Amino acid sequence: MVQDLSTLTAFIDGEPMRFNDGDTVLKFIDRHRGRGHVPTLCDAPQLEPYGACRVCSVEVAMQEDGPRRVVASCHTPLTAGMHVFTESPKIRKLRRNIVELVLTDHPLDCLTCEVSGNCELQTVAAKVGIRQVRYPSGANHLNRSKDRSHPYMTSELSKCINCSRCVRACDEVQGQHVLSMHGRGFNARIIKGLDQSFMDSTCVSCGACSQACPTSAISDVFFSKSIEATRKTRTVCTYCGVGCNLNVATKGSEVLSIQAPTDSEVNHSHTCLKGRYAFKFVKHPDRLRKPLIRYNGHFTEATWEEAYDYIAKNLQRIKEEHGGNAVGGISSARCTNEENYLMQKFIRVGFGTNNIDACARVCHSPTAWGMQKAFGTGAATNSIEDLEYTNCILITGANPTEGHPVTGSKIKQRVMKGVPLIVIDPREIELVPYAKHHLQLRPGTNVALLDMFAYYILEAGLIDQDFIKKRCENWEEFEQGLRNLNLDESERTHGVPREKVRAAAIEYASAKGAMAFHGLGVTEHSHGSKTVMTIADIAMMTGNIGRPGVGVLPLRGQNNVQGAADMGCQPHQGAGYLQVNDEANHKLYEEFYGAHMSNEIGWKIPQMYDAALAGKLKALWIMGEDVVQTDPNTEHVKSALNALEFLVVQELFMTPTAEFADVVLPAASFLEKSGTFTNGERRVQRVNAVIPPIPGTKSDGQIVCDIMQRMGIPQADYTPDGVLAEIARIVPFFKGATWENLTDQGTQWPIKEGGIGTEILHVDSFKRGLGKFHFFRFQESKEIEKHHDEFPFILTTGRILEHYNCGTMTRRTGNAQIVTEDLLAIHPDDAAKKGIESGDMVRIFSNRGEVNMKAKISTEVKPGILYTTFHFPENLVNMVTSSECDEDTMCPEYKVVAVDVEKVPASSMPKKQRMMEIA
Amino acid sequence: MAIQYISGKEPHAREKRLIFKNIDRVGFTPSIDSFLEDGGYEQLKVALKMEKSAIINEVKASGLRGRGGAGFPTGVKWGFIPPTNTKPVYIICNADESEPGTFKDRYILHQDPHQLLEGMIIACFAVNAKLGYIYIREEFPQAAIIVEKAIAEARAKGFLGKDILGSGFDCELYVHRGAGAYICGEETGLIESLEGKRPYPRIKPPYFPAALGLYMSPTIVNNVESLCHVKHIIQMGGAEYAKLGTPNNTGTRILCVSGDVQKPGYYEVEVGKVTMGEVIDVLCGGMKPGRKLKAIIPGGSSSKVLRADEKFKLKDGREIGIMDIPMDFDTMAACGSMAGSGGVIIMDDSRSMTWVINNLNNFYAHESCGQCTPCREGSLWMKKISDRIVSGEASPDDVDSLESVANQIEGKTICAFGEACSWPTQSFIKKFRDEMKGDCKPELVGEIVSDEGKVAAAGLAA
Repeated sequence: MVQDLSTLTAFIDGEPMRFNDGDTVLKFIDRHRGRGHVPTLCDAPQLEPYGACRVCSVEVAMQEDGPRRVVASCHTPLTAGMHVFTESPKIRKLRRNIVELVLTDHPLDCLTCEVSGNCELQTVAAKVGIRQVRYPSGANHLNRSKDRSHPYMTSELSKCINCSRCVRACDEVQGQHVLSMHGRGFNARIIKGLDQSFMDSTCVSCGACSQACPTSAISDVFFSKSIEATRKTRTVCTYCGVGCNLNVATKGSEVLSIQAPTDSEVNHSHTCLKGRYAFKFVKHPDRLRKPLIRYNGHFTEATWEEAYDYIAKNLQRIKEEHGGNAVGGISSARCTNEENYLMQKFIRVGFGTNNIDACARVCHSPTAWGMQKAFGTGAATNSIEDLEYTNCILITGANPTEGHPVTGSKIKQRVMKGVPLIVIDPREIELVPYAKHHLQLRPGTNVALLDMFAYYILEAGLIDQDFIKKRCENWEEFEQGLRNLNLDESERTHGVPREKVRAAAIEYASAKGAMAFHGLGVTEHSHGSKTVMTIADIAMMTGNIGRPGVGVLPLRGQNNVQGAADMGCQPHQGAGYLQVNDEANHKLYEEFYGAHMSNEIGWKIPQMYDAALAGKLKALWIMGEDVVQTDPNTEHVKSALNALEFLVVQELFMTPTAEFADVVLPAASFLEKSGTFTNGERRVQRVNAVIPPIPGTKSDGQIVCDIMQRMGIPQADYTPDGVLAEIARIVPFFKGATWENLTDQGTQWPIKEGGIGTEILHVDSFKRGLGKFHFFRFQESKEIEKHHDEFPFILTTGRILEHYNCGTMTRRTGNAQIVTEDLLAIHPDDAAKKGIESGDMVRIFSNRGEVNMKAKISTEVKPGILYTTFHFPENLVNMVTSSECDEDTMCPEYKVVAVDVEKVPASSMPKKQRMMEIA
Repeated sequence: MAIQYISGKEPHAREKRLIFKNIDRVGFTPSIDSFLEDGGYEQLKVALKMEKSAIINEVKASGLRGRGGAGFPTGVKWGFIPPTNTKPVYIICNADESEPGTFKDRYILHQDPHQLLEGMIIACFAVNAKLGYIYIREEFPQAAIIVEKAIAEARAKGFLGKDILGSGFDCELYVHRGAGAYICGEETGLIESLEGKRPYPRIKPPYFPAALGLYMSPTIVNNVESLCHVKHIIQMGGAEYAKLGTPNNTGTRILCVSGDVQKPGYYEVEVGKVTMGEVIDVLCGGMKPGRKLKAIIPGGSSSKVLRADEKFKLKDGREIGIMDIPMDFDTMAACGSMAGSGGVIIMDDSRSMTWVINNLNNFYAHESCGQCTPCREGSLWMKKISDRIVSGEASPDDVDSLESVANQIEGKTICAFGEACSWPTQSFIKKFRDEMKGDCKPELVGEIVSDEGKVAAAGLAA
């Protein structure tokens, strides 16, 4: 027996056990005796200790026979040599008495309760052995009414046991502070917002409260805590680059509900309303269930065989008539690594062309490019987990609480605990009230602002000389550039007082460790890549690379946008980021694939459109992307698609893009297939099929594999683990990845032999050897130069929490009941000048086109700036966006659009709209 | 010139007026002029020239124990601020005087606010707190107005603000008003409230706000009366002050006597220098005519009740009766109760103990914050059961079940409210069980589980 009391040993009912520094008594018991050995009502693994239910009480003593004290084990720190008595008669009586009191005010309709069999109160009551309730009935809360106002969240507070778990989940997990306790003592009760319904409150429906509630007092319409399901499958969310793990409950082929696994390193019991609740699109009647072939302008249902034959015939013909370069492919960041890998292989091997691209083009291509130039690797240098260790957070051009909700919550939690936050954004995003610094610049002036930011770091002498000298190159040029800055001109350009920039720069540079997050507000500009490189400069000049709590972290938009690029869905780099026009690489690829391949860089997506219009691109294959709705300058995209001879689209739904196709292939959604997604922190995670593909559909990987085989391109039958094994052989940083060793938590690449992952990149040296500084002088966007005089407003676009991109999926879920349309945010001063009021229909027009939508007067934007989202096809905002793009990567400049705005007279509104107004 | 008091409100000869010197004094107003005429803020001037540690040492030497209820040594509390602390330090004056039977702080706030301010500024200086809050309960609206005016006056005279009296010490005091909750008198609940949150008392650790309190910074929470004593300790010196009262029970304290005596009211006496018998018979003029003493709650409603005919065995072997108990901290504790907040409630033989405990249980059920299950549910059940006993509808077994509810609250909650609400019930039942059972219906013995309860327990009720 271990008796060394000088170390971390304590006793559970007389038995000596090791404990960890910082353990509470309950954590210690849980670890050695299993969760539930000591019952509790108010404690939950995802929440801070609370100590209110007292059911977890134990007796403690410093000697085995010494005087004992009753303490709540959940918040009592363990000390060496402590004796813990978990089930003395006194404790058992105490627990029984408490639960008995709770039951005096709890309905006993257990058999018909949705959580029957999974109710923590029920379990605890059973465990402590309640046989009777001795107290005569009296005042109680059994008649509280149910809240059924919300498409997802429900409450039935007669079942509430006042444990405050929901309030704490709202505060500590989500950080929304919607739920609170009202009244005191026996009259204490949970309220939402200002004692409103879920629907009327500011609830963001993340469901953290529902998952935390030990009873059915707060739940959801899917009864996610019921034990009705026959199977629970762990998989990864398809909605954004955070990569939340999901536990999906199913019965047969029906998806019942989704919860977030408590042990997930990525999302620790948390996820947002998209991951948790927006899954009903899966069996939506609109799902495509049969291949469609366009004959004479009309779609006709076909069998898979017919469709494959038709495709193979046409592609073969075009290849023969116009050469392989007349074919192109657009892969999808929504699909798995395996599917993306096969897609690029299909195009490259099948047609001997590098005309393969993916939707990263329109979001984070400047990140991949810029970070490769600076560091050698186009991916996040650190992990989200590093937020726990950082001393300062810088967010440039990102709105994480809407776009990356779980990461947004984590940032908010850290900031609420005192970590200073700097937000560089033209809008007052949700995090701004929490931020110490908000640099509200004019859209399109990132480089001007960040140059000034870097200048003030230099001026304050806060650079890391040692790091610069040992780890970087080209510093002198960068320093010279900064020293030559014209601060007056910069200040005029970006519009933020220089003192504010200076204060923020000093905050960032003087922190022991600072993390820089960025999003599409950085990349989707004509100087997107340059901005990324300037952020990299700032991180390097302050030594914020290569250790915990620092780094440059792009908030990747789509669930697998990292993976799509990793897998080679880029025209200039093949699988594993090997340059296709490099001789050695070209040879490597040709040998690996045993085929003749092109060593010329292919077309990027915008170039494909131009090539189509020029008659050079004849056939295009689009896997899971709605380019008509999401790519800029819609009319231009449409005419390009019209100019194609042959278009194949793999889709879940008949999207505006699929409408242009010659063949539409019905694909399976993420819940219906297996594979891997790589999240924004390079974490390769297993996606597990939750249900089989709905009848008539196939996974995207299966489809590509089928067509490859049909066209005689050598490819083994499709299995996700088989393709992963092939990937591991060609992609250097996947070398050690196997289906098995990715484990439930996933592994961050580079993955070494044995499946060992990498949390932090560039620890001792950069991937490219030395980190390279780049200095760029601000240049005005051509969009502003050309059109600002005629169209004096700057429109910038973004996303909201409730909808995902063009909303193909979320508009077919309950989310559509929460947010029903896109709105245009306009500053009150501008609105007054234009005679616009909130709710008015307005016309936004640029030299490309126009779009009508409702206005929302808001100070989230400065005068002269307009903001809207792009989720609804009814408000096709890309009608007005421009074809201007990042010089290096051709990522479109969605964030700076010269427009004008005017109120639409009621008579010129569409008829349906008028009817609604009148009603 | 001798101090003149309002006719009929003159201090009793047995009193020793330090803190209440100016209460009911003819011509004395809450204004700073009155206070200055009386030598006000002179001790602040003295203190500002002292070493900070010397002030703390004087307070330690004085033996001053907190007058809010717990009787914790004030100087020791001040010493808990971590020496390595780099965060701001706060002082909070707990003016949430809400313990039933206690009514001393309100007189200080209403009539002599500058005495509090002077003591508090000295305390701030001693612990290097540049910011202090006076948390005044909602039910004292006038007090808040008076104290705010006093703060403005003190500021105008340079006793607050930047560089007080050229000492280089900056200090600001603010009044914060409660919203009507007893729990805000609990120091961590008060801190939460001051932070703008629901006043749920905090879990331990941290064990003392002096380590982590307001805004997670070291915070000293002292009662109004305790802070007033600081001024007098500076004036007299700690050692001299300690000569007042009895060893370990030094200084003076204000007793708030209510109930069935001829002259209820406030009496400032040297701690331990008067007995309970003297309080009743000498200070308060005895019991009401023809009435006999039945019971005493000696230190605010949360302290355990004492029976008139009880005998108490002291550590030194003496056995004393209730009238012989000296009014101090230690003897009162040895007698199984506590000196608490100084609220002495005298009950004569006309009082029904069942009614009294029911009255208290109603109060505590109303004031439980609702955070901890045993207290939230238990305090209500204590009320429900004692309601039933009072109405004569109870079984004698109900008295035992009432006791068992109290037993499972005590020591099983985050804050001391658990004890505060269960001690009265436990002690009343222990000492007046027969009387309470006598108020019940004997024929109901064995029937305490009502029919509905039985059904509910079987899991059959809707």
